[in-house]
Amino acid sequence: METEVQKLSRARRLLLLYCSFFRITALVVGGGLAMLPVIEEIFVVKHKLLTREELLDMTALTQTVPGIIAINSAVYIGMKIGGVPGALAAAFGAVTPPFTVILIIASLFPHLDPKNRYLLGVFAGIRAAVTGMILVTGCRMFRRTVKNPLECTVVFIFFILAVMKVSPALLILAAVPFGWCYVWWQTRRLAQAEQTASPGEKPDETSEDGGTAK
Amino acid sequence: MNHCLMLFLQFCKFSVLCFGGGYMLIPLLTAEFVDREQVLTMSEFGNLLSVAQVTPGPVGLNTATYVGYVNAGFFGSLAASLGLIVPTILIGCSAAAGINRWKDTFLVKGMLKGTRLAAVALIMFAVTIFFGMSVFTQTIPWEALGALFKLERPVLPDGFAVSVPGIVICGTVIVLMLKTKLPTTAILLGSAAAGALFAIWF
Repeated sequence: METEVQKLSRARRLLLLYCSFFRITALVVGGGLAMLPVIEEIFVVKHKLLTREELLDMTALTQTVPGIIAINSAVYIGMKIGGVPGALAAAFGAVTPPFTVILIIASLFPHLDPKNRYLLGVFAGIRAAVTGMILVTGCRMFRRTVKNPLECTVVFIFFILAVMKVSPALLILAAVPFGWCYVWWQTRRLAQAEQTASPGEKPDETSEDGGTAK
Repeated sequence: MNHCLMLFLQFCKFSVLCFGGGYMLIPLLTAEFVDREQVLTMSEFGNLLSVAQVTPGPVGLNTATYVGYVNAGFFGSLAASLGLIVPTILIGCSAAAGINRWKDTFLVKGMLKGTRLAAVALIMFAVTIFFGMSVFTQTIPWEALGALFKLERPVLPDGFAVSVPGIVICGTVIVLMLKTKLPTTAILLGSAAAGALFAIWF
């Protein structure tokens, strides 16, 4: 079944993408995953340009590729609905409101070193709240990502290196070859376990490895 | 102009390295602009993040625009924001279809596994940076804490203390996030009000 929007011309579609993402980033505070319910409401429920499954796939994808989740979402949804021009329209729509708002604030207070004690208190309060939020997000990520003591040790080593002022960029780059070695070692161990297990029996470790990909 | 090009390239780098969402930008940005180039102090960076957090829009983009402005004015903002989105668009347009087809290969799986572990560690590091700006009155003195490994009592620098408002607000926010479904906007506004109230007493 075709809705009104699906019959729209190409230009109107791009305009719709631009305006939708403009609205999303202009209204949603926090960005990233906080945008998801609004995206669902606009693109899945209202315009029926995406299915719920497509949105779910996209959410997983936007968190695996590098980049800010908000822009990733805009690019992938734009891509799906309007190809490359759609991706551009959605991305620029998402960028325009925060860019304008922050530009105004930054030109008014370029140094952000207030002397007023109440304003200082407001900043301190928000900073404390953000600390709690990042801590909760970090712990959730830890539980989703880290599956065994070895991985826990690796995270700890990376953390210590970051504390010792090793550049974060270097750490991420070093993590890539490490990941290759690790996955290679894991698959080899799995293959060995399969060989030693008597035929017809499935080794238990398959479930452990399957979980890491999600 | 050269400065803006530099900013653009720097933010391209951050965008490509930013696995795991906008919070990953915090360790990257502090390493570059607070520790190395020193265009911002730690407390300015903290205030900047507070503003980025309460104004609408993704935190990463807000921070980029602000850092760009502090560095080189309007064109700096433009360069930083573009730097953040251009790699994403390039990756998105070329790899969007590809990654699904390649996701079970050893190369993609290994890269994702490795970068995710590093991302978790770096976000935890971002938490410690924030601890130094909210729960404690100064950055955490890691050198002094190193004494713990030698089984000695660490000598804390003067002025390093626990900030009461910080720890109260931070603790409350953690409980609220775990136990309730309050929107983050409400939590942030409440914390801002609580911070102003605490300023009356402290």
